[in-house]
Amino acid sequence: MSLYHTAQNIEASALGQTIRESTWLFPAIESTHLLALALLGGAILIMSLSILGWGLKTPVAETYKSAHRYFNGAVLVLIITGVLLGISEPVKLYGRQAFWVKMISLAIALIVTYFAFNPLVRRGASGGTVRGVTVLTMVAWLMVAMAGRWIGFS
Amino acid sequence: MLDDLVTKLADTPWSIALHESLYMYAITESTHVMSIMLFVGTIAMVDLRLLGISYTKVPVSQMLSGILPWTIAGFVLLAVTGAMLFLAIPIRTYHSIWFRLKILMILIAAINIAVFTFKVERDKAAWDLGPVPRKSKICAVISLSAWACVIVFGRLIAYNWFDCDSITSPTMAELTGCPLDPG
Repeated sequence: MSLYHTAQNIEASALGQTIRESTWLFPAIESTHLLALALLGGAILIMSLSILGWGLKTPVAETYKSAHRYFNGAVLVLIITGVLLGISEPVKLYGRQAFWVKMISLAIALIVTYFAFNPLVRRGASGGTVRGVTVLTMVAWLMVAMAGRWIGFS
Repeated sequence: MLDDLVTKLADTPWSIALHESLYMYAITESTHVMSIMLFVGTIAMVDLRLLGISYTKVPVSQMLSGILPWTIAGFVLLAVTGAMLFLAIPIRTYHSIWFRLKILMILIAAINIAVFTFKVERDKAAWDLGPVPRKSKICAVISLSAWACVIVFGRLIAYNWFDCDSITSPTMAELTGCPLDPG
C-alpha cells in the first residue's frame, strides 16, 4: 500500500473524521500545540543563550535540570497534538511541501537535541563544539515552528 | 473614530500589498509564530522562577537581567509582525472578538508587568535566592495565564465563527462593534 493510500485510510478513520467535523476540536488541539511550542522555545533558549554567553551566568548544567523537564514535557504534548492534527487531514499534508520540510527539520532537531545537545550540556562541556551544536539546535527548532505555520499557506 | 481609521487603513496601498502578496503575509505570520518561542517562552521561564518551582539555584536578579532583554526583543518582533498582520486585514481583525480579547489580555499582562517592576521586585535582594514571596507568585500566575490566553485568542482570530456576517445577538454586536443583522 502506498503512502498516499495510507493517508487516505487515516483520513477516513473515525478519529480523523471526529476531529475534522467538530467545530472546536481542531482549534483547541492547535492552540495546545502552540502553547507547548512556546514552552519548548523557552526551555531551549534559556540553555542556548547561556551557552552562547548571552544569557544566564549560572552553569548551564544547573539550568538544564529544570529546562530539560519542560523541554521533554513540551515535546510530548507537541507530538501528541501534532499527530492528532495530522490524523484529521493527512491527504492535505501529504501534498504540502511545508509539511515535509517540517518533518525533516523535526527529525534533525530531535536527533541533535537528544544525541548531541543534551549529553554535552549535561556534562557541562564548553568550547566550539557545544556552541556549534547549540546554534544548530536553535535553528532546527525555529525551522520546525516556521515550516509548521507555513503548512497553512502552501 | 476607530471605525474610520481601520477603513482608511484598509484602503492604503501597504494594506492592499500585504493582503495580496503571495509570500509576505505567510512570512509575516510564520515569523509571528516563531517569535512566540522567544517571547512567551522566555517570559514563561522567568515566571517559573518567580513561582519558585524551577531554576531555584539561579538568583532572581540574574534571571531578570539575563533573560528579560531577550523577552523584550521577542516582544518587539511580535509587535512589528503583529502590526503588519493587522494592517493586512484591518477591518475584519478590528471587529474580531478574539482580537479584542487578545488586546485585553495584553493590557492585563502589561499592568501586571508594571506592578511587578515598580512594586514587587523592588526588594528582590531579600529573596534573590531564598523562598519567593507570595506577591511574586501571584504576578507569575497572572503573567502565565494572560500570555497563554494571548496565544489561544490570537490563534482563534483565524476562525470566522463570530465574524460580522454571522452575528445575531445584540450583546455580540455590542462587543464586536458589528452592525446587528436583523436577518
